[in-house]
Amino acid sequence: MSDLPAPGALAPTFSLTTRDGAPVTFEDAVGDATLLVFFKHDCDTCHLTLPLVQRLHVALSPSGLRVVGVAQDAPDDAADVISRHDLTFPVALDAEFAVSADYGFDAVPALVLAGPDRRVLASFEGFTRPDVLNLTTLAAVACDAQAPRLVHDGDGLPEHRPGCGSKAHDPDVARRLAVRRGAATLGARRVHIPADDDPFEFMAAQGLDDGLPVVPPTEARVLRMLAGVSRPASDIVAQVPPNLAPATVEKIAINAVMAGCLPEYLPVVIAATEAACTDQFNLHGVLATTYFVTPVIVVNGPIRQEIGINCGNNAFGQGYRANATIGRALQLVVRNIGGGKPGGVDMSTLGQPGKFTCCLGELEEASCWEPLHVERGFDAGTSTVTVFAGEAPRAIRDQLSRTSRSLGASMGMCLKTMAHPKLHHVGEALLVVSPEHVRTFRRDGFTKADLRARIQEVTAQPLRELLPDEECQKGMALRAVPKTLLGPDGQPTETGLDTRLSKFQHDSDILVMVAGGTAGKFSAFLGGWANGASGSMAVTREIHR
Amino acid sequence: MHEPLVILDPTDERAAIGRRLAPRPGTLTGTLGIVDIAKPRGDVFLDEIERLIRERLPALEVLRLRKPTYTKPSPPDLRDEVAARCQAVIQALAD
Repeated sequence: MSDLPAPGALAPTFSLTTRDGAPVTFEDAVGDATLLVFFKHDCDTCHLTLPLVQRLHVALSPSGLRVVGVAQDAPDDAADVISRHDLTFPVALDAEFAVSADYGFDAVPALVLAGPDRRVLASFEGFTRPDVLNLTTLAAVACDAQAPRLVHDGDGLPEHRPGCGSKAHDPDVARRLAVRRGAATLGARRVHIPADDDPFEFMAAQGLDDGLPVVPPTEARVLRMLAGVSRPASDIVAQVPPNLAPATVEKIAINAVMAGCLPEYLPVVIAATEAACTDQFNLHGVLATTYFVTPVIVVNGPIRQEIGINCGNNAFGQGYRANATIGRALQLVVRNIGGGKPGGVDMSTLGQPGKFTCCLGELEEASCWEPLHVERGFDAGTSTVTVFAGEAPRAIRDQLSRTSRSLGASMGMCLKTMAHPKLHHVGEALLVVSPEHVRTFRRDGFTKADLRARIQEVTAQPLRELLPDEECQKGMALRAVPKTLLGPDGQPTETGLDTRLSKFQHDSDILVMVAGGTAGKFSAFLGGWANGASGSMAVTREIHR
Repeated sequence: MHEPLVILDPTDERAAIGRRLAPRPGTLTGTLGIVDIAKPRGDVFLDEIERLIRERLPALEVLRLRKPTYTKPSPPDLRDEVAARCQAVIQALAD
């Protein structure tokens, strides 16, 4: 669909040069009217039209018509056209086709007649007698001169002839022009990688990577990534700890490119960034702690299938681009935008492999329960991310339990080891139940509440056994012991010592989701970070596209 | 090897702020702040420090302060209080 400016529209300005380097500019027109003729050397319709334009130039330039040719050609080809038709008006070279693209025509020749205010008087593409006649007449009127007879009976010219495709529409050119236009809207600083530097080594040397090679975020790639969301690139999504630096959609997109994301993953990365940068999640603490935790991203809702997030077999493992790159993108956002780097603010003693990337979806279809996001207040049809500050997944192996009560006991006994068996009330845990284990719960009609209650029941232990002693000097600190179990001297009472405490302070500290392959009576749990509300709490956010 | 490549800067583009240590006082005068970052048993260590300071430098005022939690940066009010009231400060990590 041609966007050639119609009569009444304002013709775009331009500044080009001839093959000799002489400037040819079109701003406010000089003289009474300006005629632009766009052409290319390998177009027969152009060769049909250019002699007529030359005659018009000869006839009307003394009266004030300015004719300018714009060639979509290399200098030598343009020179051939000029000499073949003895053109005496200036011919500018549109080497990058940017001016052609600005004029929006589909075919050459394209003719535009504009008045002194750049308002278009006439315009057309290809060759038709009525258009040539009309343009000639209007040019003559504008110059207050006699119209030359360019077309007449018996001139041997066809009634009409379609033009040839504008070079601005060649796929490569169109792509390049789109990048150039879009790139002007991007605000990030440009970094020039010298021709003799390997881009991957350059980026690693700049400390922009996570130890694995990153994809160079070129303008073209970042623009493609930004097409994954409808939000403006300049929107600020969050202030990213530790430096509390503003993360714009553009900066997140740049890091998503580096991580290897596809554009359709970007909304998930943005929502994860937003969720992680809340006070409740406390990303600064999650990053700075010597403990193991890192953001674990759980995706719920229809977007899982739409972008191919793995929820099944090997859900925490390798081999799935969406999982691998979304988690990695969040880590790069923290590193590059927030400035959180290992050895700097990130002081984790041992870290864990999930600090490269950790993202999975819930296998809602295999669950007998409400999915995680519905439990946390969202509609089933809404897509969400939940970020949880978690350790690496740990195994819950139970192939023998045939009842939910027994299976729940196994899960509780494993969860009891979280952080330390004698440490109770130490924050949240993420329990990932596999499809085979779900089958047992489904058969018995065991609800999530039943499962949580069973876990709390089997983990309950008298306070006496949880306090530090000679056998094991680790244990619950007195400040973590409920005040009701302490006497006026601040020490546990006898009744307090006999009181049984469950592993989790609140049942809701146990986050339950379903994921994994169809075979294997293996579930998993991820321990959280200590201190509940003053540490880090899971945060769920809707994914907006 | 390849054409010169232009990439977009993935960082926040803010030059790091250079911070220098405040000048060390040659002697302790006025008020000494002792800030407990609220890590377990930090108070045990700081109590001992306070006892030694009171014993050896009785003329020094000692101001005990405490972060609400070690998991988050100091609240601005606490930082302001240290800056306004103390000529020197001791902060300690513990576990």
